Order: sequence, then C-alpha cells, then structure tokens
Amino acid sequence: MISTGLFPYMLGLSAFLFTVGATGVLIRRNPLVVFMCIELMLNAGNVALIAYGRFLNSVEGQIFAFMVIIVAAAEVVVGLALITQIFRLGRELDVDDISEMSE
Amino acid sequence: MLAQAATIPALVTPTGRDLLGLLPELILGAAFVLLMALDAFLPSTRRSWLAVVAFISLAAAFGASMWGWFDSGSGRTLYFGAFAYDRYSMFVNAILLVSSALVVIISPQYLNRRGIHHGEYYALILASTTGMMILAGAMNLMVIFLGIELLSISLYVLSGFSRGDERSQEAALKYLLLGGFASGFLLYGMALVYGETGHTQLAQIGLALRAAQTSSVDPLVLVGVILVFIGFAFKVSAVPFHTWTPDVYQGAPTSVTTFMSVTTKVAAFAALVRVFTYTFPYVYTHWQVIVSLVAILSMLVGNIAALTQTSLKRMLAYSGIAQAGYILIGVAVDPRVALGTIGVLYYLAAYAVTNIGAFAVITVMAGRGEDLDSYSGLRGLAFRRPYVAAAMGLFLLSLGGFPPTAGFFGKFFVFAAAIKTGLTPLAIWGIVTSAVSVFYYLRVALLMYQRPAEDEREYAWSRTSLSAGIVLAATTAGTLVLGIFVFLLYNAASAAQSGLLPAIASSSG
Repeated sequence: MISTGLFPYMLGLSAFLFTVGATGVLIRRNPLVVFMCIELMLNAGNVALIAYGRFLNSVEGQIFAFMVIIVAAAEVVVGLALITQIFRLGRELDVDDISEMSE
Repeated sequence: MLAQAATIPALVTPTGRDLLGLLPELILGAAFVLLMALDAFLPSTRRSWLAVVAFISLAAAFGASMWGWFDSGSGRTLYFGAFAYDRYSMFVNAILLVSSALVVIISPQYLNRRGIHHGEYYALILASTTGMMILAGAMNLMVIFLGIELLSISLYVLSGFSRGDERSQEAALKYLLLGGFASGFLLYGMALVYGETGHTQLAQIGLALRAAQTSSVDPLVLVGVILVFIGFAFKVSAVPFHTWTPDVYQGAPTSVTTFMSVTTKVAAFAALVRVFTYTFPYVYTHWQVIVSLVAILSMLVGNIAALTQTSLKRMLAYSGIAQAGYILIGVAVDPRVALGTIGVLYYLAAYAVTNIGAFAVITVMAGRGEDLDSYSGLRGLAFRRPYVAAAMGLFLLSLGGFPPTAGFFGKFFVFAAAIKTGLTPLAIWGIVTSAVSVFYYLRVALLMYQRPAEDEREYAWSRTSLSAGIVLAATTAGTLVLGIFVFLLYNAASAAQSGLLPAIASSSG
C-alpha cells in the first residue's frame, strides 16, 4: 500500500521524465534516439496516470495506461519500419540531414 | 479512503443500442478486414476492385450516419458515456466520409501512374477514417487518445507509401516524430486533467470543473488543458506547431496529402470543439487567450510564408495553416454563443470540398513515377484544359474567401461570431490576413491564364480521366452550392450544434 506522502514524488518523477523526453526530442539528432525520447514522454504520461489512479482510488488511470502501452507499441512498429527503410535507401541517420525539401 | 481497494465497476456488457449507434465505425472496421483479406487473393491487375469495395463501404457508412442523424434526435451517449451519439458527430462523419470517398475515387489512376498501387492503401484510408470518426464522437479522454492514434498511425504509413521515394520516406519520418511528440503532450495533458478532476469522461470532467469554479481553479488543471490544446494544435497544424506541415504535405503522395490535409483537420477540430467549447467552458477565460494567440500567429505565419512558395503543395500547406487560424477564431469565441461552433462546422465543410478540389487538380498533374507540383506547370493551363483551369480558379477564389463561394461563408460566420462576442480585433486581423492571401491565390489563378513562352517546354498534362472529372465536378458543385444555398448547410450545422454533448454549459443564441 503506498502512502500519500509518496504521491508528490511520483508526480515529480513523471514531470521530470516528461521534461527529459521533450528536451531530448528537441536537441538529439539521431531519429532512433528522438524516437526513444518520444517513448519517454508517453511513459511519463503513464507514470502520472498510474500515480493519479492510485491516489484517487480509481481504476481509470491504470486502464488508460494500458491503452497507452498498446498504442506506443503500434507506433514503435511503424517508426522502426520507417527508419529501417530510410536506412536502406542509403541515408545517414541524422534528422538534420533528412531535408530533401527546403523552404 | 486510500486504505480501500480501488473500486472496480460491475462488469457490464454493451447493449444492442450501443452497437447500433457505432454502426458507421463498425462498417468501416469490417471493410478494413475485408480489404486486407481480399488484397491477398486479388491479382495485382485487379487492384481497382479494392477501390470499389472501399467506396461501397464508405457509402454504406455514410448511409448509416444519415440514419443516425435522424435516429439520434436530441442526442444520447453510448457505452456508459464514453461515446456520443448526437447530430454533431453525424455531421462531422458526413464530411469525413464524403472526403474519403472523393479521395478513393481519385486514387487508383494516380497510384497506377506513380507505380505505387498497393492494396493496403485503401485499408489504411478506411482505418484512418475510422479513427477520425471515433475522434469526432469521443466523450472520454481514452477514446480521444485512441481515435487520434488510430488516425495518425495509419497516416504515418500512408505518408511513406511511396517506398522508393526519399521524399515520401522523409515526410513519413517527420510526421511520425512530430506526431509522436504531439501525442506526448496530449497524453500528459490528459493525465493531468484526469488526475485533478478525477474523471476521464468528458461530461464528468465538465461537472467537476463547474464545481471547482466556485473556489479557485487548480493550476495543474490549467497546465493539463494547455498541454491538451498543444496536442490538438499539432494535429490541426496551427502555428507554432506547424513546422511539419509543408514538408509532409509536399513529400507524401498527392492523393494522401489530399486526404490528410482535409480529414485530419476536420476530425481534430471536431474533437477540439467538443473538448474545449463544451467540456472546459468553465475555464474559458484561461484558455481563450492562448487559443486566440495561436489563431493570430497561424493567420500571420501561414499567409506570409505562402506568398513566397513556388510549389503548389507547399503553398496549399501554408494556406492550410492559415485556414486553421481562421477556424480557431470559431473555437476562441465565448462558448455560450452557438454561432462559433456553427461557424467552425460550416468552415470545415467548405474547406473540405474546396481543398479536395484544389489537390485533385495537383493529382491530375502528377507525372509518371513522380509528383509534379511547380507553379510553372500551371502556365497556360486554361488554353489546354479550360474546365480544369476554371475549376482550379474557383477553388482558389473559395480559399481566398470570395463570394459566392463556400469559403466566403465559412469566413463570414466565424468572423461574425467573433464580432458578436467582442473579439472584434480577431475578426479584423482575419480580414487583413485574408486580403494578403488573395495575392498568392490569384497569382496561381493568373498563371493559368497566361500564354506559355514560345521556347518553354510543353508541360506533359495527362488526359483528365473520368474519375478525376467526377471528383472535380463534385467539388466544384459543392463549392458553389455551399456558397449560394447557404442555409441548407447552415440549418444542418445549427441542428448539429443544438444537440452537442456534453451539455454542461447552457448555450444560447
């Protein structure tokens, strides 16, 4: 049984993870790492959902987190397939270099 | 309270009425499975049959939505409040299904010419449309999230549908990374809203916000509301969350761009209105500033950037960003005034017919194996393809907001709503930026009526096929009908607005 005292720390952890993820998306250049940072953001949402669910004594937060896990898995499948395809077309994996189209 | 185990609701099963209310979504879901199975058995020369199956299922779903329009009456919820069965969602369904059907009609010829006619295309279009319809009817944060992800993931695949084309792959990757980024914001915002109000059902969130209004508003709820708005702003490509739009629109196959430029915006705005105008009206004063600011920036940046483009697809992408700004005015008005929502609905319908028409012309332009969309290709079009040029001219006038076209009344209702609620500066800003937009729309229109230079290479326009002709005729007729017989759609939009769930705030006038 978790104590109420832990709740602010869990929320703090999720905010920290979210910030790390969002910062990573903005500053990292490798699409794989950017993708990992997006997963980090989604999982920060999961931590917040589960913490709130526990705090509020409602199952909705946990169900929501399960849905997010499934969605994130589907997104990973598509994302990795795309990154592999770009790699096969002979591109460097750097999001700054992936700019065939210009302003 | 914390010592008890979490309360688990009694196991309940959906009733037949719940399933019947979801008929349009179920039809498309079944057709998706059918198409995937058919694709395995059909010889590759018969791929156009898949388009026929997809079209029939879209027509059936449209029929089911029309039946739902009359059956839903004043509106009720399905699945214990998680899904809305009201005229609003049926109205949005109708726009989505007609748009998808037009895209399906124009696709086989285009895909064949580009050499990317694979069977999954139609299945993915249907999956994406299903996600959009779920988004339009969603009354629960989880359902909204699932709807957005279903439509987005299908679109990521569709953007990269031209597998050997680097531009298409680049578009898909950019869309995926920025779309995932937006999902992160949306989810975190939803987590905060859920946590601070204690509910995921929109109706209960609205009631909790109303109850909290008497004391002070929790700052974490406001952070959640703003994060949810950022997530939606990415999907409708509003500034400053628009950076992916031009690249994705240009790189994706043109028929996919046609599809996503219209339907994503329609579905995302439908959910945005339901969530902000009808669920968060009690924190209106807090989000109104942000929505207005994003609207102002979108109108400015979209229109200015569109001026300097030389690619039709990029120009229409920036124009779409500007149009998102105009529609956002309708969201930013006081939730108690119904005209804002009616304006948004009218604008979405007008934008759908006009933009599909304009992109259909670019689809006709496509050469063998590649997309051609430079301005120079249009030069002298009026002398070789007078009807296509006339239709394109009409679409450009409608996008610019000239009467008597659909685009004029879309803007008219939205601006009228802004003036009525004391947001006159927004309306004036909208009119000023519309005047700017006339430059780049008319620049393209005039190009079509210029004689090509003597030494210029003749642009290889393929023959306008029957399917492209049907789409151009339908969108031209739609643009004119919505611009002349205004009250046909206005009355429907007004009926859609009056039954909109969740009915928390008492809206009038």
